[in-house]
Amino acid sequence: MGKINAMKTTTMLIVFCFLLSWNQAIAQSENQKNYRNFPIVLTLQFHALSMPIKDMKSNLKNVGFGIGTEVSHNGSHNWAQQFDIIWIKNRGIGNGILFSTQTAWRPMVVGNVYSEVKAGIGYMIGFRPSESFTQKDGNWISVGKKGKGMLTLPLGIGMGYYNHSQNMFVSPFLGYQFMLVKNYNLDLPFVPQSLLQMGGRIHPDYSKLGEN
Amino acid sequence: MKTLVLIAFTFWFTSLMVMAQGFEVQTCNEAPDLYASAKISELQSILDQLTHNKVPGAVAAIWDESGYWEISSGYSKIEGQVPMQTCHLHYIQSITKTYMAVSILQLSEEGKIALDEPFIHYLPSNLTDGIPNSDKITVRMLLNHTSGIREYNDDPTYVTRLLQNPNRIFQPEEYLDYIRGKKPDFEPGSKYSYRNTNYLILALIAEKITGNHKAYMKEKIFKPLGLKNTFYRIEQGDSYGDKLVNSYWDRYSNSILENVSVLQNSNVVSMIGDDGTITTPKEAVIFLKGFIEGKLLSESSMEMMQEWVLNRDGKPVYGLGLNTTLFQGFEGIGHSGGGLGSGSQLYYFPKKDLYIFLAVNMGTVTQSPIHKEVEKILDEVYRVILN
Repeated sequence: MGKINAMKTTTMLIVFCFLLSWNQAIAQSENQKNYRNFPIVLTLQFHALSMPIKDMKSNLKNVGFGIGTEVSHNGSHNWAQQFDIIWIKNRGIGNGILFSTQTAWRPMVVGNVYSEVKAGIGYMIGFRPSESFTQKDGNWISVGKKGKGMLTLPLGIGMGYYNHSQNMFVSPFLGYQFMLVKNYNLDLPFVPQSLLQMGGRIHPDYSKLGEN
Repeated sequence: MKTLVLIAFTFWFTSLMVMAQGFEVQTCNEAPDLYASAKISELQSILDQLTHNKVPGAVAAIWDESGYWEISSGYSKIEGQVPMQTCHLHYIQSITKTYMAVSILQLSEEGKIALDEPFIHYLPSNLTDGIPNSDKITVRMLLNHTSGIREYNDDPTYVTRLLQNPNRIFQPEEYLDYIRGKKPDFEPGSKYSYRNTNYLILALIAEKITGNHKAYMKEKIFKPLGLKNTFYRIEQGDSYGDKLVNSYWDRYSNSILENVSVLQNSNVVSMIGDDGTITTPKEAVIFLKGFIEGKLLSESSMEMMQEWVLNRDGKPVYGLGLNTTLFQGFEGIGHSGGGLGSGSQLYYFPKKDLYIFLAVNMGTVTQSPIHKEVEKILDEVYRVILN
């Protein structure tokens, strides 16, 4: 019951954030022609069950990928709301799927290089690394790698390059994401996990979609 | 280039197979030892209850007034439905501490170690540096868990590394890095608090004194008692003639069990002193019986091992590598063991002159809803055996 409630709450929060951001995007689009909301964000995601900035070698062994988008919260575009779906690959502890939304603050560092601090909420479906079993009427039944849904609290830092003077462009970025995964089991109420992220935001010029 | 690709693919495929399938385990032809105990059928029915309540496999070995008898139920490997048999080898986890304590007491009887000397006298400074109170903590305090040294298993960096890297072997000295420089739990000798680190240090001492404490244990414990199927400091990936049981863990505490044989094996291979032994049910009982009957140590050493320190409730709890607990109102002397993929108990009941070994191939170190029913059924086991 708790698991279903956690999933519902997280989904509602993600949808609420998305709708709120959509409204802001519409408002911004009327007076901010250069900045483009809703880029396609493609990432490589290197995952590990680890304490922050520890056991980075494990991150490099587990390569997954993510797709997402984002929308600016303000006119100066240094606050953004991100939405991501990440396919986590991890042979050691099992794969997973993470749905998350995070609010990012991006102060410019120098030129078009910015730094980033972000935090938010997510829901992870963690699978198992090997075949698993349950018993029904005394008989063991394989359930494959069936996993469990868990509330996730992501917190990240990063940096990237952004230049919105071209017609169609890709802005690269790097990031490190620390996550606390809730209710892993009865003895580990929070489990630390991490993601090394690298990717790019593809910024299509949506204004041209309506042109003939 | 093609060869390189082929080698890489073979390596990748083999490692996937190992990760996915656990260990091969075979049935054996040996029949279990069954003497005319009236309790056999009743206990068999209780073990069957256990394995019908989501425990993969279970064994019980008993030495009572009717002699030695043993029974089993369920599977040693769920995949392929390999039945659990009494000839199979089990991880006895922390029961290893009793074997380690006997080794230390044997070294003491040989005059090679003094129990009331600080342990730093027996180890090089590169191992003891940064361990708080190392000049005050005696060998005896390590043996009875009154050292105040921190638990390496509690360090989140260690736990995450262990779970993330199921094939990784941790070096014994590496475990000490997780407690170096950390505030001790209490002043040495002032309290009792069970810590695996104490027995890791004892194993390092035994290694330093003997040069090879695995060989010493074999020579001084296994050989005198005729234990041919007991192995300490096991080899990674060795299925010991396909007799080592597979291990299962309820990772997410939702009553689903995954095969964690690879993780369990690497974990046990890594640990010394506090863990690291596999044995058959019969040989576990033979060890405890031989030890209690004084075949391994002098009477004074045996008495010392049963000088109990008190827990916070003021009740006797631990001697030197021995634990005392009440089961159904009867005092049991021995040890229990728990790991990611197994759980076991080995106890002697002086008032009944009875020995019992119980083991399951399911993890007991993290909680699972399955455990609630298991605990009730285990109470039934002791009720039948002791009453």
